Amino acid sequence: MADRLARLTSSMDRLYEFDREPVSADKLQSGGKFAGLFAGEHVAATEFVIGAFFVLHGVTARDLLLGLFLGNLLAVLSWTFVCAPIAVRTRLTLYWYLRKIAGPGVTFLYNIANAFLYCVLAGAMISVSATAVGLLFGIKVPALDAVLPTSVGWVIIVLVLGVAFTTMAILGFEKLSRFAQVCSPWIFVIFIAGALALLPKLGVERNLSNLWQVATTKIWNGVAAEGQEKFGFWHVLFFAWFCNLAMHVGLSDMALFRYAKRWTYGLFTAFGVYPGHMLAWICSGVMVAAVGRQMDPGLMAFEAAGAAGIGAVLLAGWTTANPTLYRAGLALQTVTPNWPRWKITLLAGTATTVLACFPVFFLKLLDYVAIYGLVLMPIGAIVFAEHWLFPLLRIGQYQAEKGGWIFNWAALAVWLGTLAACFLLPIPLYFKWLPGWFIAAGVYTALMAVAPVRRTA
Amino acid sequence: MKTLLAAASILSLVLCLGAPVLFFLGILPEASFKLALLLASLGWFFLATAWISYRKKPS
Repeated sequence: MADRLARLTSSMDRLYEFDREPVSADKLQSGGKFAGLFAGEHVAATEFVIGAFFVLHGVTARDLLLGLFLGNLLAVLSWTFVCAPIAVRTRLTLYWYLRKIAGPGVTFLYNIANAFLYCVLAGAMISVSATAVGLLFGIKVPALDAVLPTSVGWVIIVLVLGVAFTTMAILGFEKLSRFAQVCSPWIFVIFIAGALALLPKLGVERNLSNLWQVATTKIWNGVAAEGQEKFGFWHVLFFAWFCNLAMHVGLSDMALFRYAKRWTYGLFTAFGVYPGHMLAWICSGVMVAAVGRQMDPGLMAFEAAGAAGIGAVLLAGWTTANPTLYRAGLALQTVTPNWPRWKITLLAGTATTVLACFPVFFLKLLDYVAIYGLVLMPIGAIVFAEHWLFPLLRIGQYQAEKGGWIFNWAALAVWLGTLAACFLLPIPLYFKWLPGWFIAAGVYTALMAVAPVRRTA
Repeated sequence: MKTLLAAASILSLVLCLGAPVLFFLGILPEASFKLALLLASLGWFFLATAWISYRKKPS
């Protein structure tokens, strides 16, 4: 067992060897580069679904606008005050920093959890694309409460798309990444074009005089669809805040911010979240209202923008599933030593395609996004505590690295214990992560503080 | 050439936005708007791909 763990650790380290050293001063990037990077990063296929779901959950227009504005602001501040400062001080990726703190064993488990979560997310993106292709063949999108595949046609389309996306990811990840750069601004434009084109159908006058009245009575009218929970301001605010929880509070964007000259570059994330997680969600809300509140991204985009709309849904799914498949493959590579890249991507793609057949993952996307952030959040809290609180409390840092531990059992126990505590907390899913973060940071600090040998001299 | 490709790419993206504005204002009928959007989109993909490829060529 110990040999096996040592081999896994060694292969995992080789995989991430290229970014083992802290970023040197000559490799730091300008603020403009960060603004450009984030501007193209937050418009994905899932935006077609998320904004539409706010309408189906009966959010009012006022709650939506205020919630999205403040929630995205909190997300930007989380990148700026939580993630970026640690990245700029350490110049390391989360992988290497977590390895120092929690040991390679915990880092390995974190990678596996990440890989599985990435596969589900990529699966949801394939499902969204499948709604566009299904429209061409007259295949109905599963109902909102569907869990299992509802028709053979749906399964066939998902399988065909899954095979196509996986094959293309295997054949040319780099080329597709460049293609995604071309797609990103265009997809964003299609969101705006689609919403604009459907405004007359909703009864908006050409001089926009009744825009607010239509918005409050026909789009975000506060009436939830049958079987959907009613959402209010706090749901929207928390969703906008935690939809990238793994990246900011979860610290996985340390990989990007280690190249920042200053921690204030976290503010540049506003260039991504406000267009992608506010404007695009508003646009998809308009689109779903105009198609009779049917959760069918393909139909929404086709009604709004014709063939270009179908192309946008398909390409949004493809270009965002591709890097997700890549990241899942990278994480999975740790348990499949010496496997070539194509084999790993094939494994991740197969798992993703099977998951995509189950419509529950895209029809319950909002809940899934909450769970995704929640699962990875305690690791961010542990790293935050070790980085900021330990020096203040004179608790020795990086005990796992100094002691050569495979597992920092305190970190592992806090990770799992926090998830159990969050599960038991009698509050709605969307709000669980916030008390969970304080539980994780507090308990981890306390556990490491009570071990006398671990205190600094 | 690079500047020309950049300008043409951005112009095609502006046309992608202009078409729905004209439709909303009642200047373009729906079929023409959707055709214009499709053509401007194809223009964007063609020109922006060429622009990015040009940018990546070693000088």
